[in-house]
Amino acid sequence: MARTISRALALFAALAILLAACTGTTSGGPSGSSAGGAKAAYGGSVTFAMNSDISNMDPMLSGLFVDRHLMYAMYDSLVRVTPKGEIIPWLSALPTVSADGKSYTFKLRTDVKYHDGTTFDAESVKWNLDRYRLTKESLRLGELAPVDSVTVVDPATVRVDLKTPSAPFLSVLVDRSGMMLSRKTVEAGGADFTRKAFNAGSGPFILTEAVKDDHYTFKKNPDWWGKAANGDKLPYLDTVIIKPITDGDVRLTNVRTGQVQATNAVTGKDVPTVKSDSTLVYQEIAGIGYNSLVPNRTAGFIFAEKRYIQAVDYAMDRDELLNKGPAQGVGVVGYGPYAPSHFSYDPNFKPFAKPDIAKAKQLVADVGKGPLTFELLVSSGDAATLQFAQLLQSQLAKADITMTIKTLLFNDIVTLQQKHQQSGMTLIGWSGRIDPDGNTYDFNYTGRPNNDSAYSNKDVDSLLDQTRTATDPAKRKDLFQKAQQIFVVDDPSRIFYSFNAAQLLTAKAIQGFSVFPDQLPRFETVWLQK
Amino acid sequence: MTTYILRRLLLMIPVAFLVTIGIFIIIRIAPGDPVLTYAGENPDPATIAAVRAELGLDQPVPVQYAAWLSRAVQGDLGRSFQTKQRVVEAIGERLPVTFELGAAAILISVTLALIVGTISAIKRNSAVDLLTTSVTLAGVSFPNFYLGLLLILLFAYVIPGHIFPPGGWTPFSTDPGDNLRRLVLPAITVATASLAVNLRQVRSSLLDVFGQDYVRTARAKGLRERAVVIRHALKNALIPVVTIIGIQIGAIIEGAIITETIFFIPGIGRLAVQAIPSQDYPIVQGVVLVSALSFMVSTLAVDILYAFLDPRISFAAAEA
Repeated sequence: MARTISRALALFAALAILLAACTGTTSGGPSGSSAGGAKAAYGGSVTFAMNSDISNMDPMLSGLFVDRHLMYAMYDSLVRVTPKGEIIPWLSALPTVSADGKSYTFKLRTDVKYHDGTTFDAESVKWNLDRYRLTKESLRLGELAPVDSVTVVDPATVRVDLKTPSAPFLSVLVDRSGMMLSRKTVEAGGADFTRKAFNAGSGPFILTEAVKDDHYTFKKNPDWWGKAANGDKLPYLDTVIIKPITDGDVRLTNVRTGQVQATNAVTGKDVPTVKSDSTLVYQEIAGIGYNSLVPNRTAGFIFAEKRYIQAVDYAMDRDELLNKGPAQGVGVVGYGPYAPSHFSYDPNFKPFAKPDIAKAKQLVADVGKGPLTFELLVSSGDAATLQFAQLLQSQLAKADITMTIKTLLFNDIVTLQQKHQQSGMTLIGWSGRIDPDGNTYDFNYTGRPNNDSAYSNKDVDSLLDQTRTATDPAKRKDLFQKAQQIFVVDDPSRIFYSFNAAQLLTAKAIQGFSVFPDQLPRFETVWLQK
Repeated sequence: MTTYILRRLLLMIPVAFLVTIGIFIIIRIAPGDPVLTYAGENPDPATIAAVRAELGLDQPVPVQYAAWLSRAVQGDLGRSFQTKQRVVEAIGERLPVTFELGAAAILISVTLALIVGTISAIKRNSAVDLLTTSVTLAGVSFPNFYLGLLLILLFAYVIPGHIFPPGGWTPFSTDPGDNLRRLVLPAITVATASLAVNLRQVRSSLLDVFGQDYVRTARAKGLRERAVVIRHALKNALIPVVTIIGIQIGAIIEGAIITETIFFIPGIGRLAVQAIPSQDYPIVQGVVLVSALSFMVSTLAVDILYAFLDPRISFAAAEA
């Protein structure tokens, strides 16, 4: 009898496993949302305003941050992140990684169809990843450079072999490099696919209308696989409309008059207003992007002398820059590239917590070449940027450092910076990546294309190489922090002063809308209180 | 007349050709490298080179121009660097929006200018004249971007009921009522700038005509003042007004640039605003070409209209 029961249990367990395999093998899914105890309601429409229009709907060719606003609604990726930045299963379970760190095996969901009716499977994953990493014009080449090959093991399993171990590899699959598109629709779209990507994704919403510079309409995908933490089938909303509104005042007016129900771009001066408006809900967390000054460390340029950079570091008042400058307190004071949501963040790392004018003057005097004078290049056409530069200019003047401000087109500054021809510093930040590697490696490693300060330090190179091969997060954290001490304090590569804020402003009736450090909206968990 | 029109149309070809050369060179002289805009946030040298080749920017400028011109004469203005959309399609989608906005603005401006300008001329130096002159002067003194924002804030926060939405666009074919509601504020914004010019032109032309012998004769014949003004004076006073309106029609695209951005209207002005800083050469070239052509066509239309307004004007000399 006992044997019969155990056989029956074994059979039941086998059936359960089989059922799990048939209906999807992943756990996780949509997160960071909850109905807050109330029963979430289905239906309704939400209009969301972003601060500029998109350039491209093809993840392979997308080069702008705003593009991703649409992509997170229409496409699924292999893995995603929680609001805390933890990587979670999405179209795939979290992969198993070989002992040498070079082979990633992904078990895929088996209940996913693209909006055009074709099936998502291992062949589709291989086609997408190969397209991103092998197409000459792909903007994902750098992110997927570690990949050596992609192999279909079976219809629900894909193995990705890397050339060398790469700890940040999984994090790039969260975003555009990991977004899965229907081969049929992409190939049928041809050159027009970049702006007419209808039915290409498998995401919670289906793009149904795209009018450039005006609006993008999405309808609910009734067959989406995702479920809320309470078991509700997602998404809740019937329609999502995303509008580009470039002017900050007009954007806010649209929210306050109910034309738009949500936005993730509120200018600093308007934050007190929206916080005091009882019809709105304002959320703000530290983002993953940083703001920085980029010196030119090339021999022969002023800032080849590291003590000059340290002098500027000590003369700056970061609190005043954030709170009295155009940001008006929106964001977080920072000293390095690791934001509070990065696992490598150290809240005690505050090397320039208060301005030290005497120390700044001493460092300049130690160089022995008279007062420090340099030029700061800032983007033209943005009054806030200029105001920031002027505030900084007044702070440095207290330490007898003369900073002249020159405005140039953004493209021109980037060109000069990439050629290491800026005479002094530039004012350019970084939108940030969820793995600290994406905020560090390319900017501080000798000879890397985004090493705009022409920085070179053998110890930093060695530490950063180790961060890529180490798999233990604690070990990586230690290595990142050791590197940070060098490229921020001892031998600075650039001057970090703040982190961007991830904002979300919504009408009060909107529920389940979480703010993520990457600043991008996720609509699948959003619902309207009736 | 037909020969004159044909000759003017043929003259447009070399002008358009010169315009394309001018814009082709000017936008390439501007500092900055467009490839860096389109190669993504984190480009490596291989990606930059591939994107440069894909955009055709690895070729010498004369080769780029020849390739563009050979396609342009066949009606293909290339594809946007940024969106990959065909330039002809992008402009074609937006022209009707900009023309609707421009037409509404000119309608408002001309109607008000004719009514108020005529009253001002008839009641010269009266309180009405002084008031209208002051109000229109104040209107033209407001920059577009400021007036647009003021109107948005006024109808959003001061005047209850949100009669006019703070921006956005609905095509007429989708919802005519909403289209007109969304058209009012931007049309007033664009119209205000030209209203003062048109009004003063109507007023001074009418005052000029009022002093002519045939007006005195008309009055001496015992015609009613309304008939004197409308039938005799106004028609003859319209020629300089038509010239100015013709120029304004040609400048619709230019006038729409700021207003379309503030009210987030998907017109050709906004297309240009996005393309210029991102150095989207094909779009900039296309917009400038269309803008120049619209200027030339409207100037020709005005010249033709002269003949209908004043039969004494003949194109015989031009045809000789």
